[in-house]
Formats: sequence, structure tokens, C-alpha cells
Amino acid sequence: MKSFITAALLAIAVPAFAHHSIVAEFDPNQPIEFKGAVKKIEWTNPHIYTSVETTSADGKSVVYRVEGGPPNALYRQGWRKDTLKVGDVVTVKGIRAKSATSFNVGQATITMSDGRRIFGTGGNRAASAETQQQ
Amino acid sequence: MKKFLVAFAMALVVAAVFWTAPVPAAQRGRGAAPAAPAGPAPRLSNGKPDLSGHWTNPYTPNMAMRVVDATTREPMTFARQGEVLKDAIDPKRTFDLPYTDWGLKKWKEYDPVGKGDYTGNCLPFGMSRNINSPHGTQILQSPDAVAFLFEQNTWFHWVPTNDKFKWPEDLPEAWNGVSVGHWDGDTLVVVTKGFNGYTRLDTNGHPHSKQMVMTNTFLRKDSNTIEHTVTVHDPKAYTRDWMNVRTWRLKPANDVIMEYSCEENNLANILNGAIKVWHAPEDDDE
Repeated sequence: MKSFITAALLAIAVPAFAHHSIVAEFDPNQPIEFKGAVKKIEWTNPHIYTSVETTSADGKSVVYRVEGGPPNALYRQGWRKDTLKVGDVVTVKGIRAKSATSFNVGQATITMSDGRRIFGTGGNRAASAETQQQ
Repeated sequence: MKKFLVAFAMALVVAAVFWTAPVPAAQRGRGAAPAAPAGPAPRLSNGKPDLSGHWTNPYTPNMAMRVVDATTREPMTFARQGEVLKDAIDPKRTFDLPYTDWGLKKWKEYDPVGKGDYTGNCLPFGMSRNINSPHGTQILQSPDAVAFLFEQNTWFHWVPTNDKFKWPEDLPEAWNGVSVGHWDGDTLVVVTKGFNGYTRLDTNGHPHSKQMVMTNTFLRKDSNTIEHTVTVHDPKAYTRDWMNVRTWRLKPANDVIMEYSCEENNLANILNGAIKVWHAPEDDDE
């Protein structure tokens, strides 16, 4: 049941607005979770990308591009391009791209160190702890 | 891992249901001012209801979910309904619409993972998927025409309603088709045909042929609400006409239509291979 709930949250977290196939690019067999620092925000259609730098098991620096929802939908939920700042420390959960050379992460959730979910449902305007922990 | 895959598939179903639900609050803008209390439907100087406004049209990735009979508006029943199509590209697909043999073949072979989907290439979604999209629609209306401004990819669709207007008869087939509107009482009836056959009806990939005649109706029931129906008449793909009935809600005034450029990052994803390049089928309507 726990895995179902986790997967359900993953699936719901990023609205299924994508008009490219999620399963075409990403592999649900490769879940990934890591902590790192925000390097860049690409506020672009049809998905935003948040670049997050972390350290791999062999000690090397790796920058993942974390795919998010469509910027217009995120804007309407109260999120902004500068909601996350370069240098913010976040935890990312998602699934890796099928391509071994790609560092894109799909179906992702981004969580701040204080527990706030970023770019999920319930944007900054609905800034209650309840909505952000949904 | 098997548990995760099963859970993930179940979750996608849950998500599909969730996102098919009409008018999620989030689509109307978190924290946005609520729409004004409903009043009577506004009218133009010619007495016709004025559909103008910025609307939340329900995101509909799967038109088979709530399919009704086009005549009775009752839930539709048909032969083979619900039969699992084990030989489809995706073996979870079912006989979920009243397919002809041709339509069933197209439904079974739709392969967005292996072959890509034209929408990932930012090509026109088609009239059906424009209206199914989650990003909202601005309607502009004059006594002679209605314009639909779809936020999805910043597309538009123009519908003349003046019966003196005639489209050229030799217009080329089009991704979005060509529309003509007329009034049935207070209901705007938009009949669209002339499709190039490259498009699918929805995100799930339900098929149609070039012969499809799609009829959308719009009835502004009050200042905040439109009753929208879409009827698919395509004897090549379906043995019977079928319909969806949906409710559009007026967005609050501070929820404005915005630019949407699909190419902004899909272009790079196409060039680096993350999104497959779409090619027009050579036998698109055979």
C-alpha cells in the first residue's frame, strides 16, 4: 500500500499536461532520490526544468535537469520563476531518463529542506502549511 | 520492483481519472479571486448569447471516459464494450468506443512511445485536442463570427457564423479542420470538417479519419457557465456517433490568457533525441 501511495503521489504530483509521452523519455524502473543545490531554473514551455547539482556515489559532481509542469499552470498556482533561488538546497524524487546519457528526471517532486513542496499543487499564494504538505 | 511497476501503472490510472475531473480548482488559479456571482448570459446586439470570455475548459485526455449516446445523452453501450485488446501496442487498451474494423486497427496500433506523437513535435493538436487541453480558452465573438483563442501553443480557430460567408471550396485539408457555425436557438453549433487525418482525438490516442465531422455546441447557461457538447461522426472509424458533455467555467478576471510556446524546449528535446521526430504516415487514411 505504501508503494501505491508513493507512486500515486508521484503520478499526481506533476500534472499530466505533457504532450510528449512521459514513458517515452523516462523509465519508471529507475526511481531516483537525491539532495542537492539548485543551479538554474529554466522557466520554459511546455515544462520547466530545475537543474540541481549533487554528488554521485563516486564523489563526482552531477547536475540533474528536473522536469516540472507547464509554466502557465504553475504561474496560476502561485509559483514564480524566482520561487526557488540558485543555491537553495532541495531533495528531488523522480525517475531517470531511459537514455543513459541523459540527466533529465521526470515525474519529480522537489522538496525544500524545511519540508515545503515546490512546484506542486498549492502555490505560494496558498501558503498555508496544510496545502504545501499535501 | 514489480510492485513499483504495478503501483505506478495504477497510479497513472488514478492520475488520469483525477485530471479528467471537470474544472479542478487549481486550473482556475490558486489564490485567484473567485468569479463574480452568476447572472444571466450576456447577449450581443443581435440578441444572440455572447460567449466571449476566458474559460476553463475541462482537461480531457480520454474522451472514452464519459461517452454518451449522441441522441439520448445516456451512457453508451455497444458490442464488445470493455473487451481487453491484448494484441494492441498497449495491451491494457480496451474496446472503449464503438469502433469499426478500421478504427480498431488504428486504436490498437497507436504507439506514442515507440513512434512518438505529433504533439511532442509541437505540430497542431487538431480541433479536438485543442478543446481537450488543460490551459484554457479565450472566446471572442461578433455578430458574424466566433474566435477561439487556445492558450495551448497559442493557437486560434475562427468560426464564421454569418451564413453569407463561404469558405473557398478548394481549401487544403487542415490539422484543425475548417469550421462553420450557426445558431440553434441560443446554442452555437460549430461543425468542423476537412481534416488532414494526422491528428488524434485525445491524449490517449483515440483515432479518427479524414471523413470525420465534429460538431461542438456551446450553450451559455448563465454568465459563468457554458454547457459544451462534442459529437464525433466518423463512419470510417466508428459504427455510431458518440458524444461528450462538459461544463466550462468562466475564469476569474485576474486569470489571463498567456503565451505558450511549445517549441521553447521541445525543439531541443527533438534535436537531442529525447522526443522522437514525427513523420506523416504514408497510408494515413488507408
